[in-house]
Amino acid sequence: MDQSTSNPPPTPTVGLTNKTKRESEADRQRKNKLSAAIEGYLYLAPTLIALTIFVFIPVVQSFQLSLTRSSFGRSIDVGFDNYVRLFNDDRYHDVIWTTLKFTMGTVPIGIALAVVLAIALSYPLKHLSWFYRLLIFVPIVISTAVTGVLFKWIYHPTVGYLNHLLGFFGIDGPTWLTQGDWPLVSIIIAVVWRQIGFNTIIALAGIQNIDGTLYEAAKVDGANLWHRIRHITLPLLSPTLFFLLIINVIGSLQVFGEIDILTNGSISTRTMLYSIYFEAFRSQNNGGASAQAFILFLLIVGLSFMQFVVVGKKVHYQ
Amino acid sequence: MLTRFFRNARVLTLGLLVVLLSSSIQAQETITIEFWHAMGGGLGETVDEIVARFNESQDEIVVNATFQGSYDDTFNALIASLETDTLPNVTQNFDLAAQTMFDFPGLLPAHEMMALDGFDASIFVPAVADYYSDDTGMVAMAFNSSTPIVYFNVDVLAEAGYDELPLDWDFSTFKEVCDAVLATGIESCVTLGQVGWYFEQILANSGGLYFNNDNGRTGRATEAVFNQGQGVEVFEFLTSLYTEGYAPDLGSTWTDTDASFIAGQSAMELDSTAGARGLQEGADFIIDTTYIPHSDSSDRNGVVIGGAALWLLDSGDEATNLAAWEFMKFVAQPEQQILWHTNTGYFPVRTDLADNEELGAFWMDNPNFLTAIEQLGSTTTTLEDGSPNYAVLGGRAGFFPSIRQLIVDAYRRVIDDGLTAQEALDEAAERANQILADYNEIVGG
Repeated sequence: MDQSTSNPPPTPTVGLTNKTKRESEADRQRKNKLSAAIEGYLYLAPTLIALTIFVFIPVVQSFQLSLTRSSFGRSIDVGFDNYVRLFNDDRYHDVIWTTLKFTMGTVPIGIALAVVLAIALSYPLKHLSWFYRLLIFVPIVISTAVTGVLFKWIYHPTVGYLNHLLGFFGIDGPTWLTQGDWPLVSIIIAVVWRQIGFNTIIALAGIQNIDGTLYEAAKVDGANLWHRIRHITLPLLSPTLFFLLIINVIGSLQVFGEIDILTNGSISTRTMLYSIYFEAFRSQNNGGASAQAFILFLLIVGLSFMQFVVVGKKVHYQ
Repeated sequence: MLTRFFRNARVLTLGLLVVLLSSSIQAQETITIEFWHAMGGGLGETVDEIVARFNESQDEIVVNATFQGSYDDTFNALIASLETDTLPNVTQNFDLAAQTMFDFPGLLPAHEMMALDGFDASIFVPAVADYYSDDTGMVAMAFNSSTPIVYFNVDVLAEAGYDELPLDWDFSTFKEVCDAVLATGIESCVTLGQVGWYFEQILANSGGLYFNNDNGRTGRATEAVFNQGQGVEVFEFLTSLYTEGYAPDLGSTWTDTDASFIAGQSAMELDSTAGARGLQEGADFIIDTTYIPHSDSSDRNGVVIGGAALWLLDSGDEATNLAAWEFMKFVAQPEQQILWHTNTGYFPVRTDLADNEELGAFWMDNPNFLTAIEQLGSTTTTLEDGSPNYAVLGGRAGFFPSIRQLIVDAYRRVIDDGLTAQEALDEAAERANQILADYNEIVGG
């Protein structure tokens, strides 16, 4: 039974009837809209509440903390002094530089390798694809702590497998985890290895989503494998690559396990994220750590925004 | 039938009630003590054994031991627990945390319990007692004390022409030995991690100070002085071991050095006495031990006590505090100290164990366990003019763990970035002074 039938008998004036009818209809629409909105917010509520408790409030609190020097439950207001110190601190500049090198190392290599592997799995290695996929994906299910320890043994300068192996070829391997730029390179290798499975699976899914008829048409036109990859696969894969880019950049900014286990956060491998941990838990400097956390937060927000605006324009959607 | 059922049920209920009541009475009587420690692996198993012994020895107190990770982790967990009001009753905390623990809100100094209980603190080895004492007395209860010693592969040293190594040796002698060792064709002479502890110990052995105000013992430390005098000579020596190819560069590690020593790739290893048991079991050659070296321009001073102690935290409840104190006393008893020493290599902290028969027999078979005790025993604690030797008392400052970390960084600054020892230490000292100033500002020096 809807509202119009339950209305009292219509009054003689036609115009008025129409007006009430219109009003009630508008009312109903508004009501429907409202209840739809409420319903929508109800669906969102669990996420919003969780985000508020675990993300928004902590962000605000850590910003407040970054304006203090505190320990033992005592705290002193220092204004923006923690930020000023970071700004003037050569070692923090090194940290930013290290982070940049690390991201530039892991992201392009990680994605490029994944695409090559995904293409290989789709074409030349198609027959035993399930086997190779398993092989490539396995690192993902091993915890970071375990892979860290594994790599630590591989890299050990005197009793490690890697230098032992290099020794067969007469190469005197470097001390992977300590000297110069090697520690960062070692961590990049370990991280790329850990992420390659995820990246490959995503790239593979992207490739498999591409309409097969396009390839057939291209084949008919005489395009060879390279041409098909270059002019069909890669352009149509760009949304996937865009997704991978964002995920990988943010992921590389969040790497912790490998750094902590492989080099114990030695000075040349201290990235922005590790530096936060280092300030807070090795230097008992909560204020300074919070300031660094807030800077990293702004950076990630900015990066996500930039990636959507700049890169988003160049992505080819079918 | 039914009445019997009810009768049975009644009896059952009654029985259950009795059981419940008695258990609740028991629950009221037992006090649970939360005990945090930083002893992993084999060390942790021995801690568990001591705790089990205590729990079996009486039925009023139950100690619940929790492994909190490394010393640093335990230290951080304690500071964090202050803000969430979840402090344990007893915590193990390491040497460097001493000043921070002295200032820690809610700490119940051990000397208060000692006075209350008539406990005689003179049973403890003086160096240990002094390290953890303020003007009144011992603030913490001695537990696991260690010092670094030099372990060496007897076969390799014999090949190099050394049947034994001197106990009192300076840097030049050390390198002479190393040159002879390298001439045998071994990959490296010595292996040691780039940790702050060896710098602190060798600095003390060379009579150098780490902080001003007599190492922070006659007043709060306000300035790091390790970049002056002996400190530079010591750090030059330590970094030269890596840059001149005497030691493999394994970075800042406590454990990786064991692998290259046990594999026979390094003839010597600098490690804690607490590693004695593990090394002896791992190596298939005979291991001998000697004291750590000192600088060319100094006489041997001796070592600072390392390791950790037990700290009592005020629960606000007297019965609980007393129960926690009972446990701390239990750990210091001879039986537990003997088990602890023979299982780990941390040395006994009681003086009356020096002529213990059981230990005497043990030391005959395991002379390496004795080296650390004798190294500490022969430490110069008083200078010729009668004043205390503050160098071997060790530095004391708030947030010392953060300052130690700066030395770890300084190693890399020399090895990777080519700074001189002086430059790297100056840089570290500047940052250390900032940490000291911040700490004193917050805590209110």
